[in-house]
Amino acid sequence: MTPWVYAARRLLLAVPLLFGMSLLVFGLMRLVPGDPAVVVLGYKATPEGIRALREAFHLDEPVLAQYLRWLGGVARGDFGLDFRQNEPIGRMILDRLPVTLELTLLATVAAALIGIPLGLLGGGRRGGVADRAALAIGLVGISIPDFWLGIMLILAVSLGTGLLPSGGFVPMSEGPLDNLLHLVLPALTLAVSRAAVLGRLTRAAVLDVVQRGFVQVARAKGLAERAVLFRHVLPNAAIPIVTVLGLQTGYMLGGAIVVEMIFTLPGVGRMTLDAVLERNYPVVQSTVLVIGAMFMLVNLATDVLYGVIDPRVRRR
Amino acid sequence: MTRGRVALAGLVIVAALALAAAIAPALPIGSPTEISKDLALRGPTVAEPFGMDDLGRSVLSRVVHAYRISLGVAVTAALLALVIGGPLGLIAGYAEGVADQIIMRPLDVLMAFPAILLAIALMSVFGTGALLVSVALAVVYTPIVARVVRAAVVATKVEVYVDGARALGATAPRLVLAHILPNAAAPVLVQASVLMAIGILVEAALSFLGVGVRPPTPSLGLMLADGRGFMLQAPWMVVFPGVAIMLAVLGFNMLADGLRDWLDPQQTGGR
Repeated sequence: MTPWVYAARRLLLAVPLLFGMSLLVFGLMRLVPGDPAVVVLGYKATPEGIRALREAFHLDEPVLAQYLRWLGGVARGDFGLDFRQNEPIGRMILDRLPVTLELTLLATVAAALIGIPLGLLGGGRRGGVADRAALAIGLVGISIPDFWLGIMLILAVSLGTGLLPSGGFVPMSEGPLDNLLHLVLPALTLAVSRAAVLGRLTRAAVLDVVQRGFVQVARAKGLAERAVLFRHVLPNAAIPIVTVLGLQTGYMLGGAIVVEMIFTLPGVGRMTLDAVLERNYPVVQSTVLVIGAMFMLVNLATDVLYGVIDPRVRRR
Repeated sequence: MTRGRVALAGLVIVAALALAAAIAPALPIGSPTEISKDLALRGPTVAEPFGMDDLGRSVLSRVVHAYRISLGVAVTAALLALVIGGPLGLIAGYAEGVADQIIMRPLDVLMAFPAILLAIALMSVFGTGALLVSVALAVVYTPIVARVVRAAVVATKVEVYVDGARALGATAPRLVLAHILPNAAAPVLVQASVLMAIGILVEAALSFLGVGVRPPTPSLGLMLADGRGFMLQAPWMVVFPGVAIMLAVLGFNMLADGLRDWLDPQQTGGR
C-alpha cells in the first residue's frame, strides 16, 4: 500500500465515525428529562419564549427530522442560535477556538521539551540513578491531577511571587508578550501529566531500540555513545515518540476544559463547561461535537503520519 | 528499586487507603460533617494535622471519608465496565466478521471523544451523584475494556493449543472459557489498575467542576473546589485533598506498572 492510499483509506474511515459522533451527541441531549425548551429557558421561561424556542429548534418535528436538520446545519458550519446570548453558536465557537488552540499548542511544545529529554535521560543508561529518578518523576507526573497542579501553581507562582498572572486572557493582537505571560501557567498545568506520559514512552522506545542489532554494531565499531544515541537510537525511537505526542495533543483538548476553568480563559472548553452548568443543551451539543471532532482528527492525522513515516504500519 | 517492589509499594498504598476508607467512621478522626464555627480556617495542629475548613470541619476526617467516594466510584465503574465490556470484547474477538463490526464500531464512536469530555457530556444529561458518576465512567471505560479483551482473544485463538482442544472436540463455550479467556486475564488486570487510577482522577475532576458528586458528601474534588476560595488564608484546604488524590492515583499507577512487568516481562518501561 502506498502512503497516499493508506492516508485516503484512513480518511474515509473517519466519515462514518464523525457521523456516529454526531448521532451520539444529538441522541444524548435528547435523553435529558423534561421539555428541552423549558430546561433551556430555565426560570426565564414564559409561554411565548417556550413557543419561540420550540419553533426555532423545530422541537415539534419528528426526532429524525430534527437530527437531519441539525446535521445539515452543522455540515455548513451553522450550529443554530444560542437562546441565552442571542448569538449564533458557530460564531461563539469560532471566537473562542483560537484560545483553546493556542493553549493546546503551547502545552504540546512544553510537553515535548520536558518529556523527551526526561525519557532520553532515563533510557540512555538503564537502571542508573538518572533512570530511576526519571522513572519516579514519570510516575508522579502521571498521577498529579491537573486541576490541583493549576491551583498549586497559582498559589505558589502568581500569589506567592506575583511574577505571572493567575488568570485571564489577552489576545495576541493586544500584546504578544502579555498574551504569552497569561498562558505560561495554564500551558504548564496542561503539559505536566502529558510530559510524564511522553517521558515514560520515550524511555521505553529508547530501551527497545538500544537492544537491536544495528546499535550493537555501531557500538562494536567503536562509535562514541553520544553518536550512537543521536545517530542510531533517536531516529528509530522517534516514530513512537511522534505518535504519542500527537495522541497527547488530542487529550489536551479534553484537559483544556479544566485548565480554562481554573485560569478563567475564554476558550471552547470553558464555553462547554458553562453551558453544561447552565443546562444550555444546544450549546453543549455543538461544543462537544466540535471538540470531539478535533480530537478525532488530531488522532487521525497522527495515525496517517505514523503510516507515512513507517512503512511497517501500512502492511497491517 | 526493582519493579516487583514498585508493585508491592503500590499495593501497600492502595490497601492502606482502602482500609482507612472502609473503617473511616471507626477511626479517631472526628466527624467529616460536624460544623464548629469557632474553629473555622484554623491551621494544622497536632490534634488536627490537616487543619480545619471554612466551616470548621476537620480536613483530615473529610479526606479519609472522601476516599470512600473516590475508591467506591472507581471500583464500581471498573466493575461495570468489565461486566459489560468484557463479554462484548470476547464475542467480537471470537466471532470476528460481522459480529465484530456490529459490536466494535459503535464503541469506536465512544472512544472518539476525550474521556473527560465524554464524562462531562454524560453527567450533563444524568445529573449529579456518586452512582451516576460511576455509570458515566463505566460508559467511558467499556470500549477500552472491550478492546483489551478483544485483542487478547484474537491473539490467543490462533494458538496451537486452542486448535488442539478444538480437534479434541471441545465446544465453543469450553474453548472460550477454559482456553482463551484465561489469557485475557493478565492484560485486563493491568488495565483495571489503570482504570482505577483514571477513575479517581476523573471523579475528582467532575466533582471539582460541579458535575460530579453533590455536596455535602465529602469528595476530594469538591473539597478542592471549596478550598479554592480560601487558598490564601487556608492553603491546607487545597493542599491536602490534592495530595490525597495524587497518593491514591500514584498507588494504582505503581500497581499497574508492576503488574505489567510481572505479567509481560517482554515489554519494558511504561505506556
